[in-house]
Amino acid sequence: MIPDPKVREAALRWAALTGDPDFADWEGFTDWLEADPAHARAYDEVQYAVTDAAEVMETVHALAKAAPAPANDNPPFALSATRPAWIGAAIAAALVLVASFVLWPATRGETLYTTVPGETRLIALGEGSKIELGGDSRLAIPDEGARRARLESGQALFTIRHDAADPFVLTVGGARLVDAGTVFDVRTRPDGLALAVAEGAVVVNPRVQALRVEAGHRAVLEDGRLTVSAVEPAEVGEWARGRITFRDAGPAEVAAELSRATGLVFRSSGGAARISGSIALDQVRSDPASLAPILGMRVQREGEAWVIAAR
Amino acid sequence: MAFHSKLEQAYLAQRPRLLRFLIARGAGDAAEDLLQELWLRLAGAGDPEAAAHPAYMLRAADRLMIDRFRSRRQEVLREQAWSEVQPGLVEDIAPAPDAERSLAARQHFAAVERALAALGARPAAIFRRHRIEGVAQRAIAAEFGVSLSTVESDLRRAYAALADLRRTLDEA
Repeated sequence: MIPDPKVREAALRWAALTGDPDFADWEGFTDWLEADPAHARAYDEVQYAVTDAAEVMETVHALAKAAPAPANDNPPFALSATRPAWIGAAIAAALVLVASFVLWPATRGETLYTTVPGETRLIALGEGSKIELGGDSRLAIPDEGARRARLESGQALFTIRHDAADPFVLTVGGARLVDAGTVFDVRTRPDGLALAVAEGAVVVNPRVQALRVEAGHRAVLEDGRLTVSAVEPAEVGEWARGRITFRDAGPAEVAAELSRATGLVFRSSGGAARISGSIALDQVRSDPASLAPILGMRVQREGEAWVIAAR
Repeated sequence: MAFHSKLEQAYLAQRPRLLRFLIARGAGDAAEDLLQELWLRLAGAGDPEAAAHPAYMLRAADRLMIDRFRSRRQEVLREQAWSEVQPGLVEDIAPAPDAERSLAARQHFAAVERALAALGARPAAIFRRHRIEGVAQRAIAAEFGVSLSTVESDLRRAYAALADLRRTLDEA
């Protein structure tokens, strides 16, 4: 779609203007947008192209910065001292993030940690940081740079010593989570992730949503949409201490979590019920049927599996 | 999320203005939802005091619409790319492996560098200084010893080149 050259020229001009931190004429910009719906479309096309280009430039400069520097006549530019501090921080964060996102080709060593259902695994990162990996999970850590990790599937509880100069960055699918002094739990979901923060805060996708999730909150990112709700900090990562608490969860979610945590096979039947209850995993392992009264559901054995269904 | 009552008050005062802006930006029926999303972003901002300024809120609203446009466009392109290979399987798109993404990023980067270099040294340098390093246009004008309108015009040329490049890439 090639817009009218006049419209395009105006869109380019507005894009150049609004990009400036000192830009103040939002009134004039709004008037221009309101004059014709084609104006917003033309402006979007320009901003889309420019934002994309700027991002790819940051990415590649970050790669140059993070990789052992090859002989290069064109070194990554220095950070300017005249820039407001927040932009410096934002760029520093972006550099780390983007690097973690792209800079893990197969040529670079990384260690893959996996667990089977029912297993948990402690990964010590040094300096007081650790990751507890839940059952049926996969997590990769690059051999260089202990401040990065990638959760490929499953669930993990992160206890991270905060370092503002070198934030810990976790990638989950296309999402990036950056700690701000933190104990947090992350699990993958079919189209996204669920994050719960016990201490400190985590910033979700600093370059897209830039949502800061504080302690006592849970964020679910699904299909690019974020929803935030409250969570009891003491319940975050309980599974690592042998307990799971469900609040208003669906049977499928309960079955999946119990399977992962216990190594037994749970299935659900009928999805409408909402389940709340707190469960000691040891007890479930030794007597799965004991779940029934706690969950207020029927729990019946079918071959190898335990089926959770409404009463 | 901690509620910053000052921020909340400022937001409520600006709400009609922000809604008008989102609608002007093409939010359509989604304007109220987007306003909600904007509030989440504002409430999650690192510096609530700065976020309480109307210009900050409008900038965040603009950014929200840019992100929305980009993610929609990228989705469309992904679906097109995928359905060319396997029609009907759009739902199960696997994300590209990192190595592949890294290669695509490098190719895109090379194309961006070429497009900017074609404009000459100054527009390319001004674009970097402004968009990547976040330096204000007035400071750039002083640094390069040119007028503010020259900085603007260099940026416009760079944006035009990048928009042309993007169109070529998307249509490829």
